[in-house]
Amino acid sequence: MARTLICEIVTPERIVYTNEVEMVVAPTIDGEIGILPLHSPLVSALKPGEIRVRFDGDEVEWFAVAGGYVQIHEDKVIILADAAVASSQIDVDRARSAKELAEKRMAELPVDAEADIDACERDLKWCEIQLEVAGKK
Amino acid sequence: MANLRDIQKRIVSVESTKQITRTMEMVATAKIKKAQAKIEAARPYALSMMEVLGNVARFAKGAEHPLLEEHVERKRIVVVSVTSDRGLAGAFNSNILRMSEDLIRKEESNGVVVDVITVGKKAGAYFRYRGIEPIAAYRDISDKPTFLDAKSIAAHVIPAYTVNDVDGVYIIFNRFKNVAEQSPELHKLLPIEQSVVEEAADDADIAAEYMFEPDAESVLELLLPTYVETIIYRALMESAASEHGARRTAMKSATDNASEMVTSLSRTYNRARQAAITNEIAEIVGGAAALED
Repeated sequence: MARTLICEIVTPERIVYTNEVEMVVAPTIDGEIGILPLHSPLVSALKPGEIRVRFDGDEVEWFAVAGGYVQIHEDKVIILADAAVASSQIDVDRARSAKELAEKRMAELPVDAEADIDACERDLKWCEIQLEVAGKK
Repeated sequence: MANLRDIQKRIVSVESTKQITRTMEMVATAKIKKAQAKIEAARPYALSMMEVLGNVARFAKGAEHPLLEEHVERKRIVVVSVTSDRGLAGAFNSNILRMSEDLIRKEESNGVVVDVITVGKKAGAYFRYRGIEPIAAYRDISDKPTFLDAKSIAAHVIPAYTVNDVDGVYIIFNRFKNVAEQSPELHKLLPIEQSVVEEAADDADIAAEYMFEPDAESVLELLLPTYVETIIYRALMESAASEHGARRTAMKSATDNASEMVTSLSRTYNRARQAAITNEIAEIVGGAAALED
């Protein structure tokens, strides 16, 4: 049996996923990294993107993540995500309408409302990622 | 003595009020459990987050960060006042509002400008009534706050603190001690106390030699705002649980009072009825005696 690592994906609201896996691929701000067992200890910031988890040989699970952190230590990968959702759980209709709403709000915002624009962009990005990851499995 | 029909009407009305308060009590009881479960669900994230913060802080020791820095001058502060959208929860809201008011008055007497962010319709209405326009007013979130709400509140204060527009940020909310006890609490959000970071660093696992990407300082820079957001989120959740706790207590005593009132009204009703009967008998006896003569 191949060596495994524990993967935990937690958001402030709940534990999204926890499982013994063989590989985790996560989108750090410097680029995508693949994490295998015996990885050296690492803390890195994540950007919005997709997480892939491989387990039981060839099973793969996909997650959309809205940014956060990953900590790797002694074959344990903890992903602290601002928001995360499994590809099978993504509500495509809701993401699509949320995206439209964000786009509309964005268009109406005055150019100097930087904080609001940032928030809007974040929402928009998160919706796009969800839509992108939704079909994958 | 009040007439019989009036008393009966009162009894019916008190009974129906009691039914409402009892239902509200039961609803609140159910909601406390849910709110508590949410607080529990947030714990793993908070714990892991402190662990990461500790590891980062250990390697970025002495790193300076605008959110950790106390400003020399104190000109403007922000108070986040967390209340509920709905009343009927005893002193839940008034405790918070009184505490906010005290803080504002104290700071203003020292020449500090105080801005207010309100959560819940109660705080919004209270401050507007007093001629203080909140810089942001959140409503319809106090019942089931999300992390995004916390993020949005943080987005109002973190950049402002970083660019020295604001020299202190406080949050006032009801801490959930247990189902029967909630107490208003003042918590300093910014600047983040150095001790928080130092303690987290002391608890960190010394053995692990972490790598950081891009580097420890940058991760810390990203992590500190998240830390503030987590604290705000926690405060919002505690407030939600407290709201239901306070409402349950208030509704329980309202229900008890209603029961007591019904008992005393029934007693008055029976006494009045008895008096009427006695009166009637006396009249009949009197009438019969008059006929005999």
